[in-house]
Amino acid sequence: MAELINLQILNRLLGWAGVDLPPSHLAGAVLAALVHGVILLGIVAVAAMFFIWAERKVAGRIQDRLGPTRVGGRFGWLQALADGIKLLSKEDVRPREADALLFRCAPYVSFAASFTAYLALPFSDGWVAQHINSAVFFILAVLGLEVFGVILAGYASGSKWSLFGAMRESAQVVSYEVPLGLCVVVPVFICGTMNLVTIGNMQTGWLTNWLVFHDPFTFAVFWVYFTCAIASVNRAPFDLAEAESELVAGFHTEYSGMRWCYFFMAEYGSMLLVSGLATILFFGGWHGPVPVFDMLGWSSMGGVLQYVAELAGAANFLIKAVVGVTVMIWVRWTLPRLRIDQVMTTCLKYCTPLAAVCFLGALGWQTGMFGLAAGPLWSPNQLMAVKQRGEYRESWVLKAEAAAAAEGSAAQAGRPAASGDRDEPDVSGETEPARSSATGAVGSPLSRKGGVG
Amino acid sequence: MASHLGDPRVVEFDVRTDEMLINMGPQHPSTHGVLRLALRTDGEIVSEATPHIGYLHRCAEKIGENLSHRQYIPYTDRMDYLAAMNMNLGWALVVEKLLKHEVPERGRHLRVLMAELNRIASHLVAMGTYGLDLGSFTPFLYAFRERERILDLFEEVCGARLTYSYITPGGATGDLTEGWLEKCEAFLDQLAPVIEEYHTLLTSNAVFIRRTAGIGVLSAEMAIDYGTSGPVLRGSGVDYDLRRDGDPWYTGLYRDYKYEVIVQKDGHYPKDRDYPPVPAEAVLGDSWHRFYVRMLEVVQSVELVRQAMERYRAAKGDCGAPLKLTQRLPKGEAYLETEAPRGQMGFFLVADGNAIPWRVRVRSSSFCNLSITHEVCRGCLIADVPAVIGSLDIVMGEIDR
Amino acid sequence: MMTLAGMDWHAIYFWLFALLTCGFALAVLFSANVVRMAFYLVLCLGASAGLFFLTGAEFVAAMQLMIYVGGTLVLLVFGVMLTAHSRFVSLRTPSGEWILALIAGSALLALLLSAALKVPDWVKANPDRAAISAADVEATTPIGMGFAGVRVDKLSQTDPQLLGGMSGYLLPFLIVSIHLLVVLIGAAYMARAKRRAAAVDEGAV
Repeated sequence: MAELINLQILNRLLGWAGVDLPPSHLAGAVLAALVHGVILLGIVAVAAMFFIWAERKVAGRIQDRLGPTRVGGRFGWLQALADGIKLLSKEDVRPREADALLFRCAPYVSFAASFTAYLALPFSDGWVAQHINSAVFFILAVLGLEVFGVILAGYASGSKWSLFGAMRESAQVVSYEVPLGLCVVVPVFICGTMNLVTIGNMQTGWLTNWLVFHDPFTFAVFWVYFTCAIASVNRAPFDLAEAESELVAGFHTEYSGMRWCYFFMAEYGSMLLVSGLATILFFGGWHGPVPVFDMLGWSSMGGVLQYVAELAGAANFLIKAVVGVTVMIWVRWTLPRLRIDQVMTTCLKYCTPLAAVCFLGALGWQTGMFGLAAGPLWSPNQLMAVKQRGEYRESWVLKAEAAAAAEGSAAQAGRPAASGDRDEPDVSGETEPARSSATGAVGSPLSRKGGVG
Repeated sequence: MASHLGDPRVVEFDVRTDEMLINMGPQHPSTHGVLRLALRTDGEIVSEATPHIGYLHRCAEKIGENLSHRQYIPYTDRMDYLAAMNMNLGWALVVEKLLKHEVPERGRHLRVLMAELNRIASHLVAMGTYGLDLGSFTPFLYAFRERERILDLFEEVCGARLTYSYITPGGATGDLTEGWLEKCEAFLDQLAPVIEEYHTLLTSNAVFIRRTAGIGVLSAEMAIDYGTSGPVLRGSGVDYDLRRDGDPWYTGLYRDYKYEVIVQKDGHYPKDRDYPPVPAEAVLGDSWHRFYVRMLEVVQSVELVRQAMERYRAAKGDCGAPLKLTQRLPKGEAYLETEAPRGQMGFFLVADGNAIPWRVRVRSSSFCNLSITHEVCRGCLIADVPAVIGSLDIVMGEIDR
Repeated sequence: MMTLAGMDWHAIYFWLFALLTCGFALAVLFSANVVRMAFYLVLCLGASAGLFFLTGAEFVAAMQLMIYVGGTLVLLVFGVMLTAHSRFVSLRTPSGEWILALIAGSALLALLLSAALKVPDWVKANPDRAAISAADVEATTPIGMGFAGVRVDKLSQTDPQLLGGMSGYLLPFLIVSIHLLVVLIGAAYMARAKRRAAAVDEGAV
């Protein structure tokens, strides 16, 4: 039986109000779900609005013009809202040939997939809707569902152009999941966990602790990841599904108004999502280049100061993710679109082998060239390491530790002492946890299976 | 199955899929107006592309038989609306040829100046929209930024930005305004460095090369057989430019001008040192070459404009007054082809002694250029269709008239 | 009677997802359009992934979403779109097949039920919730280790006869995946059409 929702934020809110709700309480669970839902929906919606504005502004600057300047006073910052109002007021047109049910559902499927993935994306230390141990895998899996909305839209529109868009999308996304998974596995096996909060926390400290600087292969694999991420969220130069010069508008040719808007929100939502994932996996997540709050000691102080430190972490995270999205926008307005066969070639002949080579290289680095050296090769991550990677614990381990401490002793008979031969059990009775936090050879087969599967 | 392996007639296809007949256009974003292409596709592969035209037919030829030769000028504007000066020039020259009317020296240089400036503007649009066809939006706006300045120059001269009706039989509707040449000079100085930008964004861009090189290859024989002309013909390596090889009445305009015809010889284009080299993937006659010829023609036209300005300054007298509306055309016929930006633009004029022609016929360059579509699009991918159509740089107004 | 506040929300979520799973499974059965079927199947599998999440088997849930929904069903719809879809748009099941399917389905259901009811732990609800929630997170590591060739459950196995048969899952896993690959390549080869060049020129295929 799993805990359905992370109660940290709710408890904090309620704690300020002086109320206490147990997590198993129906009202508590519903309230926590609502709080998280509203916060995440707010983030996704505001992010989509912000990026629509940013896209127009950046595109304008790249194209030697100003972009929106009027709406909302300076910089046209309310342009996205004006666009939204326009879209709301547009007629919801449905072609006669369309499959009514699927045509109506498709945008929601796309948006729901993009939104659901946010459930597992931490914005700061512990600021995540649901602590999922295999969060990386979950995000990749749910992100892959977005394609289903596109396919349904393409099929249900009853238009040949939409059908072409859907076919391209399905071929492309299914192919790009392979190198994307391989790339994601590299930081996962370095950290020995698929828990994003733990991966983020393992990069605590200075800039040198970021995984992108772990070794040359992680540096290379980031670029492969970014390429694949652009392809998997359908952005130019891989935006074949909506290639406006070939397929009119591809899968959303027949859509108008709010339904069309949902596709857009899904697109921008996934852009932020893959950038956020890259931020956590490669760029230290919520840890800035300089650990200001760690030096001040606020991050572990508790109370308001820790809250401020976490808030700064969230800002840090968002800034890095927004930079990633901006690069995507920049690429879009610079490069021509690839052709479908070239997109496939890029995936199968370049991205996949490169990711595999980086995977093996990083594995070799981590295992000291497969056992030739005494331990992991030197990495910039060791320059200013705060503590050993293996000392970080996943959230459920911490919780189990707390529970064990509360119970006094929790040695449970009949539980398989799985990892007793490798690691010293550091939690009484809970030997399993140590396994997940161990690095290198132990973590890799687990995570490799996860990534490729 | 194995028995087929040695049979050269058997073509191995990928997974067999259903054939689909789709309409590209006439409201498709990348068919440059109202062209309709009926595509027979097998998955992403186009097995047949049939162009259907006529959506912009405005009876321009018939109208020509009801109006005086000077009244017909605005209708020529609307044929190739991206190069209206060249259309005006073509009509003016054919009327003058029938009348044996020579324009003064200054008028000659003015015409070269306008025609070449408009060629630059037209090629800029071709370049920008080609970027759009390949999914790159930015070059389009860069191209329009430069084109705007040419349109400003035209506006100053004749008051119109698209349909100029400036060059008329007999001369032009007016002389250049005060300070116009300096503005034009400033524009040319500004244009030279930004051409580099276009080459960076498109010509030498790896994605662009992969999208265009080897796509829509048109052999020199086929190009001649189908009567293609302009950059499409020269992109296939045929050394033919009407400014040099055309009717003396037309080539007389370019008498004593120095320029080289842009065509590949021995693997090199004239003066291509400053520009990106021909990529290894490119095949003579493919979309990349057609595009590159246009890009180099912009440079060529810049040189021609500079020469024309110099000669215009030196020439004495006026540039010729428009003929009278009622000026009667002598009985007889005249045909003249000019090198418009899109190729060979011919006007045929039969007069029966009135000011109103008895018959007008237009030979459109885009029409012939478009006719190769079904040859070069066979077996290509859907994404290549806009890449090929864009590289032909068609204007439907000229095809349908 | 439980009050609203005292209700077990976990059970509520279970019933919700279980009903969704069954409902969409029935919708798959009764719809005639193959793409709609695929859509209902997505919802059905998504809801059952929700059930996995409820039990704490997050990895299995994510795996279900990725492989079945993101992979298999996408490919299925892709195939339908590529081929003649008129044949698939309405699939009516003849009544003979209904009967056969009912017999096969209920036989399988009976087998599964009887097997499930034989597990003593599953017959009665386990009142010790804390023990379950502590155990739920341990599922993935033994599986992963098993794939790598290390059976961690060997350590607690006392029966020597059973111990002898406990090898890693790596070899079977590899055999199955290579078998799948061979099948896929074979299918692609069989689907390739050979056509005469002349026929293509005429535009008639």
